[in-house]
Amino acid sequence: MLEGFDISDSDIDIAGKQTRMEVAYGSGDGDEELTAVVAKREAELGAIFDQSYKQWEGVLGPRWMRNYSIYRHHVYGIFTSKGHRYYHPFVRLTILVIFLASLAPIPLLFFSSLLPGQDGDFLSKMWGINRYNLWGQVLGYFPRNLCMWPLLTALVVGGMISDDRKNGTSALYFSRPINRFDYTIMKYLSVFAILGFVIVFSYFAYYTSAIVFRGESWAYLVDTLPIFLSGIIAGVILVMTYTSLGLALSSISQSRFFAAIGFLSIIYGTKIIALLIEMQFDTTIMYILSPYDCLAHFGQFLLGLDLNYEHPLGFSVISLIFMNVISVGILVSRVSSMEVTRE
Amino acid sequence: MNEIGNKSPSVMLDHVSKWYGEVIGLNDISLAIEGGVTGILGPNGAGKSTLFKILMGRLKPSQGAVRLFGIDPWKSTTPYRRIGYVSESERMYDWMTSLDFISTLARLHGMSREEAVERSKHVLNFVGLGDVYYKEIGKYSKGMRQRVKIAHALVHNPDLIILDEPLHGCDPIARTSIMNVIRELGLQGKTVLVSSHILEEIERITEQIVILNNGKLLAIGNLHAIRDLLDQHPHRILINCENPRDLAGLFIASEPVYGVRFPDKGQLEIHTNNLSAAHDALPSLIVKSNQKITSIENPDDNLDSLIGYLIGGINHG
Repeated sequence: MLEGFDISDSDIDIAGKQTRMEVAYGSGDGDEELTAVVAKREAELGAIFDQSYKQWEGVLGPRWMRNYSIYRHHVYGIFTSKGHRYYHPFVRLTILVIFLASLAPIPLLFFSSLLPGQDGDFLSKMWGINRYNLWGQVLGYFPRNLCMWPLLTALVVGGMISDDRKNGTSALYFSRPINRFDYTIMKYLSVFAILGFVIVFSYFAYYTSAIVFRGESWAYLVDTLPIFLSGIIAGVILVMTYTSLGLALSSISQSRFFAAIGFLSIIYGTKIIALLIEMQFDTTIMYILSPYDCLAHFGQFLLGLDLNYEHPLGFSVISLIFMNVISVGILVSRVSSMEVTRE
Repeated sequence: MNEIGNKSPSVMLDHVSKWYGEVIGLNDISLAIEGGVTGILGPNGAGKSTLFKILMGRLKPSQGAVRLFGIDPWKSTTPYRRIGYVSESERMYDWMTSLDFISTLARLHGMSREEAVERSKHVLNFVGLGDVYYKEIGKYSKGMRQRVKIAHALVHNPDLIILDEPLHGCDPIARTSIMNVIRELGLQGKTVLVSSHILEEIERITEQIVILNNGKLLAIGNLHAIRDLLDQHPHRILINCENPRDLAGLFIASEPVYGVRFPDKGQLEIHTNNLSAAHDALPSLIVKSNQKITSIENPDDNLDSLIGYLIGGINHG
């Protein structure tokens, strides 16, 4: 240090009323009459936190625990703010409304069970268990596949991977012992679980409540169970197809809006094009481009209904397989390149 | 945790090169690092980020072998059980509290819920966020966010911690706090790699440095040893004073000084071959001059100068 050069704080009252600025520039310089309002804060010493690092001696869990954690924190966000996928309150509310709407036949079934005579029978035919109603609970176009399931899927898949692409938060996973297969499969399962809960669970609840409210016997159960199980299979294929398409769109973009709108465009756009071609040329073949119609066609077959489509069922099945394979292929390839430069 | 080979060094690069088309990112780097804090120094574009990306399995080296605890990180995620990584640009989940955030990441390592919460509280206390861990990360300052990143890298008790520009954008208090954390981790026997392009930041954390420039390894070893080597090269001392010409007369007669310049009004630049001797002579010469000195600077005491000298040394050698 240079001689005569004192930079100590000994003259500064850091715990008292005098601020450092007053010490530096002085006071009582003849301007006492003048006043000014300043943000004056007494100087104080900073707190020193306990900076001792403790080693952790525990054993880290196996792969399934890590994977379950990914799955859990993607589903959790719907209920709390602790999830890795953020759901806006409006999105949560919309999902709740869709879920409640999917359960709408249940109170009507309950109502029909309370009414005696012909009124009750009529309502029971309207809302009760039969092939058409079971098909309609999952694959009916209005309102479910026009308003509810596509919107639900768009809201759930919107930011599922695109947010990670945009924010680079996938690095949080890939700098841990989590490989890309686990990351992809757990994202897929979490979307599948949310869609499955709303679509398949509401179907299950509908069937179960019909039996309970009307006090049906084992014979009824034996009669209807195969149709119900066929409907479950149709529902699972629908959830799987919508998940594959939605996640593929989410993985190719950094915008949740793109994924959501892209999904709705595919569902509605292909349907409208096929409908226009059918009206113009009187052929249903173009419905093989529409994911919904392929699912509806296959669902009609599974539940033993008359087929509404003229083209062979095999075309719709092959189209469905093709859509799923292509979507999963895009998803896998895009996730493989996330955060990685593979020249 | 111990299923991975413990005898291999934490980080080992054997003649590693990386090309981006015709541009070279890393050029024949060989080094092994085990224990303590090592500063990875280099200007922007030196290859620090490429090095870290290769270590984190995000880039495949064009040539050479990389091993973390004896395992190739490109082929296996197993080493990441023992690695904590803080990226410079990585975002976090702003809607979560830091405690929730850290504990969910701890669970990605396979900790139970109770362990994850307990351990998260400990690391958040360690980085000085013990009193705010119920606050959402989105409400944190830049320095606090950096400390959250360090906490999430530490939660699973890693043996190797890689910190990419951890002090970037932090205020002085946060810097001091993060530096203390890094030093403490080094003292605990962890292997810590810290990158920076500011020499004095690294100097305050560690003496063990690696200097990269244009993808090449310029120097590796103790900072003081490297500086001693550089003392043989010309150095400058810049003095701001009232009358530089009078002062220059005194200095030019002094043994370690071989030249002077007047770069600006009120400034004297001294050229010397022996920086330590010149600094030893400074106080008596200043007193003798009876002048008011406002500042004394070492313009060469930065990374650019250090690299300049190293490149010069290599060229001359």
